[in-house]
Amino acid sequence: MAETQAAKRLREYETIFLVKPDLTDDNVDKLKERVRGIVSREGGKVLRFTVWGKKKTLFPVAKQPRAIYVHASYLGGSGLVAEIERNLKNLDEVTRYISVKLADEVDPETRPVLEDLKLAGDVEETRPGAPEPREGGGFRGDVAEESVGEAEEESSEEA
Amino acid sequence: MGGDDEKRGGGRGFGRKKVCRFCAEKNASVDFKDQATLKYFVTERGKIIPRRISGNCAKHQREVATAIKRARGIALLPYNAVVG
Repeated sequence: MAETQAAKRLREYETIFLVKPDLTDDNVDKLKERVRGIVSREGGKVLRFTVWGKKKTLFPVAKQPRAIYVHASYLGGSGLVAEIERNLKNLDEVTRYISVKLADEVDPETRPVLEDLKLAGDVEETRPGAPEPREGGGFRGDVAEESVGEAEEESSEEA
Repeated sequence: MGGDDEKRGGGRGFGRKKVCRFCAEKNASVDFKDQATLKYFVTERGKIIPRRISGNCAKHQREVATAIKRARGIALLPYNAVVG
């Protein structure tokens, strides 16, 4: 790609990071502002921050059963992602993060800056087995086991 | 073989045609943040369900597998769920 094009065309990325659950809203906002500062410093554009709220994690993260999820979507270059991840790594409150590229060659003018969202979080969300308690803990139910059995039968019939 | 009878009685017959659900629905896309959809492609234990069972096409199975691995990284799916 030509250097001239790289100046106006940016890539779209999203970063999700997990924050320790005992942080207050103010502290989460502070983290958000820090990321926002990095993005603008590196010549990117923040599209939206979404705080998913406190969610139950499927396994303990930093010895805590819950975490606050923060999702950031932004435009920028490859250096920006490295810079954000470097900062997140240095922050003690951030326990996990992941960055994913969503699109190449996005024109920053075409993407509006959306207002930040804040979701309530779902404390009891990961309990699919709650209405009818199953013996297996019920992560996905017994459907998987059933279909495994079926497929094996099928393949043996074909053979 | 009483177990087999129960399976048939459970309403999931043998004649079920497997279609890749992401191909069937035009606007469905694989997203690692979509915990509810990805759960469908993971066993109770947290393992990725193979293509021959889930019915995904090759392209979407690859995407699903990547998405599940990403979701595990941010604790939206388990690496290993303990079955009691």
